[in-house]
Amino acid sequence: MIWLTWRQFRVQAITAAAALAAFAVLLALTGPHLASLYAASGINGCQGTGCEHLASNFLYQLQAGTYWVVYLIGVMIILFVPAVIGLFWGAPMVAREIETGTHHLAWTQSISRTQWLAVKLALIGLAAMAVTEAFSLMQGWWAAPIGRAVGHGGSGPLIAMIQFSPLVFATHGITPLGYAAFAFILGVTAGVLIRRAIPAMAVTLAIFAALQIATPLWIRPHLFPPDRTSVTIDAISDISFNNNTQGVFRIAAGALAGQPDAWILSSGAVNAAGQPVSMAPEACKQALINGSGPSALDCLASHGIRVAVTYQPASRYWALEWTETAIYLALASALAGYCFWRLGRRLS
Amino acid sequence: MTAVLEARGLGKRYRRMWALADCTLSVPAGHVVGLVGPNGAGKTTLLNLAGGLLAPTTGTIEVLGGPPLARLARIGFLAQHAPVYAGLSVADHLAFGAHLNPGWDAGLARSRIERLDLDPGQRAGTLSGGQRAQLALTLAVAKRPDLLILDEPVASLDPLARREFLQELMEAVAGQGLSVVLSSHLVSDLERVCDYLVVLVGSRVRVAGPVDELLATHHLLSGPRRDPDTLPAGQRVISASHTDRQSTLLVHTIDPVLDPAWTVSEVDLEDLVLAYMSQAAAGGRRHLEVQR
Amino acid sequence: MIEFHLDGRSGVAPYLQLIHQVRHALRLGLLDEGDQLPKVKDVAAGLAINPNTVLKAYRELEYEGLVAARPGIGTFVTRTLGGASLAAHEPLRRELRGWLARARRAGLDDESIEALFLSTFRSAAEEDIA
Repeated sequence: MIWLTWRQFRVQAITAAAALAAFAVLLALTGPHLASLYAASGINGCQGTGCEHLASNFLYQLQAGTYWVVYLIGVMIILFVPAVIGLFWGAPMVAREIETGTHHLAWTQSISRTQWLAVKLALIGLAAMAVTEAFSLMQGWWAAPIGRAVGHGGSGPLIAMIQFSPLVFATHGITPLGYAAFAFILGVTAGVLIRRAIPAMAVTLAIFAALQIATPLWIRPHLFPPDRTSVTIDAISDISFNNNTQGVFRIAAGALAGQPDAWILSSGAVNAAGQPVSMAPEACKQALINGSGPSALDCLASHGIRVAVTYQPASRYWALEWTETAIYLALASALAGYCFWRLGRRLS
Repeated sequence: MTAVLEARGLGKRYRRMWALADCTLSVPAGHVVGLVGPNGAGKTTLLNLAGGLLAPTTGTIEVLGGPPLARLARIGFLAQHAPVYAGLSVADHLAFGAHLNPGWDAGLARSRIERLDLDPGQRAGTLSGGQRAQLALTLAVAKRPDLLILDEPVASLDPLARREFLQELMEAVAGQGLSVVLSSHLVSDLERVCDYLVVLVGSRVRVAGPVDELLATHHLLSGPRRDPDTLPAGQRVISASHTDRQSTLLVHTIDPVLDPAWTVSEVDLEDLVLAYMSQAAAGGRRHLEVQR
Repeated sequence: MIEFHLDGRSGVAPYLQLIHQVRHALRLGLLDEGDQLPKVKDVAAGLAINPNTVLKAYRELEYEGLVAARPGIGTFVTRTLGGASLAAHEPLRRELRGWLARARRAGLDDESIEALFLSTFRSAAEEDIA
């Protein structure tokens, strides 16, 4: 059965190996130079607020080369690999056999359908996880300097994001592993139920994409109870502030000073008593009408306006990674169990 | 002799339609059993149930004395249209058989492939229909089963391929002492090779028994016009046709027909099957089983 | 070794055809005492017929005392039906020839001769049984 799994999986395996090799070449061509740029930037061993400046310099410096393109390619590949696996490794696994009638051949040899499914799921599932994780690890190794620079508070082009941003979280650490396992088994399950490969691929894509969108929006923020704090306005290092002529204003925090890579879930202005406030005190309305900016903020701050922030600290990164991965793996296991039950009963 | 296939009240329903209903059969071992009936009668359903590919809705089925899923190693299954893996070569298929079947006889498989003049390196998707059928038969036979199940194996083959396939099948039956159950919607395919017949029409078994006995106990009676109900009790009318003066009846009877008004002639398998098919069309639901 | 063939349209059961062909071969001297009949497996595979059919024919021949099965080896002829005996009936053959000549002179064609012969042959056989 192992031989058969390999023989039927050969083309996909070789494609994956070629893609990994091509990606490795791409990273190898650019990685060492990126590392040397980082070494020369002086971020290593820097202290305090000077780090931010060095880090931002380094990140903008990268625009001179193709580094951001490579980074983006890497992120996109890792983002899409689980879906590709679900579509091309998972959906056809059972659906193609039933479509072409070869299940009459495969399931009337001397091994049971359960055994057939178990070996295929295990071997190809492991391969799916390994390939995805390999991409992720390679990308992680290559982009380590960027990550460290961002961690020191450097801000660069839009692409340089903190580790909690959806694109980064989904493509680093171990979450790709969970996505790959889930997408694969989702594909297999769709194939078992729909029994035709193309519709199964479509359904797999739709469900997986929906879940991938829903996860950062509604699931990930609630995996752990977030921390809440209120800080003075000048403790926000990336503030967005808008107001209208009536004195209604809004403050949002982009990053906390001193915790540049914390994940801000929500923020808002509160008064000294801690209650949300959106109407500026009389004394500051003139400053607001004159135009937003430091003077208006100073005025608000002097009236005791603070910013309440709900966030996940950077230290919780790995806890969130493990939890989310565990959830996806649990979903994958549940689907796998369903496939075994379903295939063990009926068929044809 | 143990029954090679035993069904009791076997039924299979898809949504609201019964593909097979109330099927009771006891097929003895050591025969080549022909399962004949029109398309849609339930032949494929019955064979898939026997091969463990389907689970019954009602009733039970036992193959070689046990549930089909417990007999996978002892059943060789050849599905309709002889499915093979188009991307795998002939040699790959033999490796497939070898890896998935502990009882695989590699020498037998190799010698058959050589005798059939199949190129081991050729991709199975490029084989002709007859060659695919022969490859699939080799896979089924080389695992050394006790029972072969074949679903319309020659339906889409040209006459030469059909003859060659049946030759190979008979060679395997004679050489390995296999029991065979094969289905067809054409009686002519089955006549030479089958010695046991099951007629399936409208999802039900209409008649089952050894061919010799069926032919010996069914007769064609022709004579002056007569109401079929007036015949003696031992003579069951299967089909009847009348003109204004003459009646032609196909009857089943164990005793000889002594009424001098009748001209008695023998029937062949085709007449017999047609008679049961027309009986089914007329709404008859009785089932006749001839025991040896 | 003799080779069998089947006429699918003759209406005669296959096993009977095999028996006839063996007896015919014996009569014509194509098969002699001690000759081996083709193996059941080869006949079944060659003609694409059920091996049980071949077995039935061979068993019938064995019952008639014409052949004997040696397990594991094959089936062998034990008795001929003698081309010799045909030759011994030369007088009958000449009589038959004369009758045929007379039938033709009387204006009967081939079919009529055959019909006349068969019906007489059959009714005589029935009288013998009765």
